[in-house]
Amino acid sequence: MAAEKSSIKIITLIAADGSVFEVEPNIVKEMKTVQSYIDELDQNTVSIPLPNVFGNDLAMIIEYCKKHASEEETKEAKEEFDFEFVKRMKSDDKLRLLQAASYLNMESFLQFMAKAIAAEIENQSVEFVRDYFQIESDFTPEEEAELRKENEWAFK
Amino acid sequence: MSNSDEITIPPKSKRLKHENEDKLSDLPDCVILHILSFLNAKEVVRTCILSPRLKNLWKSIPTLVLHSTNFSTFKSFTKFVSKILTLRDGSIALHALDFERIGSIEPHLLKRIVNYAFSHNVQRLGISVKGDICHILPCISSCRTLTSLKLSVSPKGRHNYGRTLFPKSLNLPALTTLHLGNFAFCASDKDKTEPFSAFNKLNSLVIDNCTVKDAQILCISSKTLVNLTMRNHSSDLYKIELSAPSLCTFAFTGTPYQKLCGNNLSSVKQVNIDAEMLSNYTEPPLVLLSWLLELANIKSLTVSASTLQVLSLIPDLLKDKLTSLCNLKSLKVQLKPLSYGLSMTLRTAKFQKEFKAGSEPSSPIPDGIVDFLIQNSPSAEVDIIDCSRFGGSFDNLPPFPMSSIFPQFLQPSSREPVVDDLRQRIQQLEQAVLEVQQYIQLAHEEISRERDEMSAIQGHMSMLSKTLAALKRQMQTMGLWQ
Repeated sequence: MAAEKSSIKIITLIAADGSVFEVEPNIVKEMKTVQSYIDELDQNTVSIPLPNVFGNDLAMIIEYCKKHASEEETKEAKEEFDFEFVKRMKSDDKLRLLQAASYLNMESFLQFMAKAIAAEIENQSVEFVRDYFQIESDFTPEEEAELRKENEWAFK
Repeated sequence: MSNSDEITIPPKSKRLKHENEDKLSDLPDCVILHILSFLNAKEVVRTCILSPRLKNLWKSIPTLVLHSTNFSTFKSFTKFVSKILTLRDGSIALHALDFERIGSIEPHLLKRIVNYAFSHNVQRLGISVKGDICHILPCISSCRTLTSLKLSVSPKGRHNYGRTLFPKSLNLPALTTLHLGNFAFCASDKDKTEPFSAFNKLNSLVIDNCTVKDAQILCISSKTLVNLTMRNHSSDLYKIELSAPSLCTFAFTGTPYQKLCGNNLSSVKQVNIDAEMLSNYTEPPLVLLSWLLELANIKSLTVSASTLQVLSLIPDLLKDKLTSLCNLKSLKVQLKPLSYGLSMTLRTAKFQKEFKAGSEPSSPIPDGIVDFLIQNSPSAEVDIIDCSRFGGSFDNLPPFPMSSIFPQFLQPSSREPVVDDLRQRIQQLEQAVLEVQQYIQLAHEEISRERDEMSAIQGHMSMLSKTLAALKRQMQTMGLWQ
């Protein structure tokens, strides 16, 4: 609705590495961080630097937004796209994109990435999950044993 | 920066990573909780030992997935449920609760869970249990925050086919998604039942293995309903009357027995059908055809190969003209292994046919049926998706080139020098070995497929006889069978 009110036709997004993306207003609707800035302006073009998102990641996010903003695509086609989209990503890509989604404040994309990451750590051991997030445990073995005992009802 | 359009969004967090930083450090708690909310509650609690930051984060989890299958005993499951309801931070709203217990459930435990959910403003509630849920229906029936409800109640006991009666007075003003399993809808007006008309925001409805009681018509009336999914194998005779002007997609899995009717079904654009039959009856194929005639204006039709097989059981189907499906843009056929019930039915039907006319090739999609469906929309795109069934048979194996190899081995050519001749023969032999290996490989696959099929048929057979015996026993106890 905000985009209809203003006369912006093209939005230029500048990624952390300087790569430039020109997109239509409906593509950034999902990016609330960007949208809130656009809403305050009333120009034909606007360029927005995004120092927290790299070009490769931004390209993927825009690809996702384009597919999901399209009214011609069926629900099935979008689901298939999502499936392939996650399939070609490594764990690191997912975590980076989740961070980008959090920074850009993109609700449904954040949900999508969170779900993809959850699927990777589901039914995995504590060691696997620690490794996955590269968490160095700050607990001493005694502290960890204590925690396990405290919550033993969840470790059976 | 001379251009006034340039604006800068300041980075929220530091860009440079410290060496001891993990992948979660840059993420706010709410994002981590977002990831955790897709996991089952047991795994969520277990994250407490990952790091000090996560030690108590699980207590803020906004969703609870409680499935008894994640626990080895019912006792440990009950204890877990009780603990998490006590220890979770009660000041945080519970967005979603998904409770599943395969097996009976103590009424007070179920009541406690449901009360907890409603006192924490639950929006999405899922309950799948065995037994009686009458005592929790009053709590559910007046929840104003609920947007999504899934209730699936299996009957208690092994041979009880009873279903829970669906309450008439549910006041759920915010409900958009409703999924019901094993319910019976009672007649409200003469022979008609109209259970969904009170849900003013209903968008998606799933009716799983439900039926009607004392009614001949199940009326699904809703101005807002967009998606309707039905799963049903029951042969109960009733009609489904659709009065849903916004209905866009209709999906069905099971055996079609109930006819569809409605004044205006032209809003329906997409139909997915995965029909199947466990034995050869005449009604389901005819009902299936009547659906395709009723849903005349659909743009996209997705059917399983078994749906087409069921349809093909109508005698002389292809000789008639189809009067619907004039606006079809896309027809998708999903190839999946047929159920044994259906493949037995088809085999019997085929044998009967073969007595009359000569044998015909068996194929996953019956001949001519695709053309039959798109006869009024010749420009429709046809997609055949994923062939998961091993299609080959012995007839399709490459012919074993026995005759072409042996004479050459036995009679060395006299015209060529000995070395060349030997080399040529070695090459041919190697080729022959490869071909034989390939043949053995294919034959192995074929044999194991046949064996699988054999054991599956035996399984099917023993299941049928067990069911039969159980039914007889049940009827005996009721004094109906001597």
